[in-house]
Amino acid sequence: MASTVLQAKQLSWQVSGKRIIENIDFELNRGETVAIVGPNGAGKTSLLKCLHGEHSDFTGIITLNSKPLSALPHKDIAKQIAVVSQQTNSVFDLTVIDIVRMGLIPHKSFFESDNGNDANRIHSALSKVDLLEKRQQVFNTLSGGEQQRVLIARAVVQAANILIMDEPTNHLDIYYQHQILGLAKKLKITLLLTIHDLNLAAEYCDRIVLMNHGQIVANDTPEQVFTPPTLKSVFNLNCAVDNNPFTNKPRITFSSITDSAARTKNKGDEQ
Amino acid sequence: MISSAHRLNSKLTAALLTGLVFATFVFAIGFGVSEVNHQAVWQCVIASCEKSIYQTILYDIRLPRVLLGFLAGFGLAISGALMQNVTRNPLADPYLFGIVAGAGLGATLASLLPQSIHFVSLPLAAFIGALAAVTLVLAVIANNNWRRVEHLLLAGVAVSFLLSSITSFTLYMGEAFASNRVIFWLMGSLARADTTALLWIFPVILIATIIAFSLARQLDALLLSDESARTLGVKVARLRIIVLVICAASTAVIVSYCGGIGFVGLMIPHIVRSYVGITTGKLLIGSGLLGGCFLVWVDVLARTALDGQEIPIGVITSAMGSVFFLLLMRKM
Repeated sequence: MASTVLQAKQLSWQVSGKRIIENIDFELNRGETVAIVGPNGAGKTSLLKCLHGEHSDFTGIITLNSKPLSALPHKDIAKQIAVVSQQTNSVFDLTVIDIVRMGLIPHKSFFESDNGNDANRIHSALSKVDLLEKRQQVFNTLSGGEQQRVLIARAVVQAANILIMDEPTNHLDIYYQHQILGLAKKLKITLLLTIHDLNLAAEYCDRIVLMNHGQIVANDTPEQVFTPPTLKSVFNLNCAVDNNPFTNKPRITFSSITDSAARTKNKGDEQ
Repeated sequence: MISSAHRLNSKLTAALLTGLVFATFVFAIGFGVSEVNHQAVWQCVIASCEKSIYQTILYDIRLPRVLLGFLAGFGLAISGALMQNVTRNPLADPYLFGIVAGAGLGATLASLLPQSIHFVSLPLAAFIGALAAVTLVLAVIANNNWRRVEHLLLAGVAVSFLLSSITSFTLYMGEAFASNRVIFWLMGSLARADTTALLWIFPVILIATIIAFSLARQLDALLLSDESARTLGVKVARLRIIVLVICAASTAVIVSYCGGIGFVGLMIPHIVRSYVGITTGKLLIGSGLLGGCFLVWVDVLARTALDGQEIPIGVITSAMGSVFFLLLMRKM
């Protein structure tokens, strides 16, 4: 049986009196890749932020390796969970290596300087994401895909066993979308991400958590979750699901809004 | 801003800065009203002074002033660097939190109150005023979503204006001679340099620098975003408060002895970031040493530019700072 590394029970979170996520039960098992999908405002990012400790004012229980998240020191959480947030530019001209080196922070005490081993870790992380050549380049001058790779390298240096990524493929072209997800999978750690592209989610993830209005609608393998009726109930669009000819994973094709509306109307007329 | 391609390597930077500090101390004490030339200074440094009066001039008058200039420049520059990094705002500076306005009000009240209730010296009154201003800023943001950087900056600006208006009113109503004294003090000067000043300023700057270095990694984490820092295990709100307090204490103690010396905390970190580095460790060392040397030389200029008259140091730093910024904007 797979061991659960991160678990939420009866998790709710609200902001200014508005419930964003409600009564969520969720678990993440060691070594699996899980995508949280759903329409805008479904509560995907809020759930992620509760799970990695960014939102601490939730109700319910979150446990990290069976220990309550709220009782763990920030540093201990950072040693176990690395986060790649949505793209951010720095006000200052930080270099690639400046950012990757930040991964050491949870492992260092006051005044402790870098040692030879740290330099090797940084070097090997940069090689893994193929950015060794660009280590002295300014982060803000890199392409979106390269910036994501820098943040993945930082997560590698952080040496956490869970990697959380919030919409890592946003603003990236199709090549970089595959590159980033392929790279994250290659790290062979537990991976939890939010993503809008359902086909990418189907291709790279073992399990899909489908959310709508702050609640989990479905939580199963891509084959089980990505069915036309389920997707229609959440996205309000008709779709067809077949198999990707290259990977044999589910492939979803949505109809246009007008087509979906027409079909719904016809169905109503027939009834 | 200049790209990292212009940054110098660490060893060269260390050598240049060490050379600059050494040259500053040796040459700057050679300048002054009395004619103790560089040859005499050099002889005093490597052997003994030719005349005993030289000993008094160099070690009792000029050296404390050079040391005070260096410490003040060092403290203001690292406070500026810290404030800019901690707020991720390149225009932040140590005066942002009403420190000078508070010190000004303290100095004004100490100078203008009737002698019968005049119980504190001008530097002490200025120090109390500066700390009161920072406390007021912290109190305001503590009740109002103090995690947000913009609130911190806005509260600082508002408190500055409030305290400055009270100072202006007090000066307007006050006795002309005492008002003049406060106005000159606000323009900045190192003329108060003596052992007492050094004994007050040195430990504060030393402790602030040690604390800042111990937090260097956490401060680096803040450079990307607050959320990014939190995911690396940094307690962002606590870190910001600690840095604010050490910057406030350093700036308050400097302002209380030296008056208002503007732009050092704003300008020096910008230069250092371009040529030395952005991460906190490099930025603090570079800004401290360059800021220290800069203020020593500005003071030399202030003492020697006009015959028999000293130009307020704050006037020179503000003039140089604003020209610097205009040039910087042309390059942007």
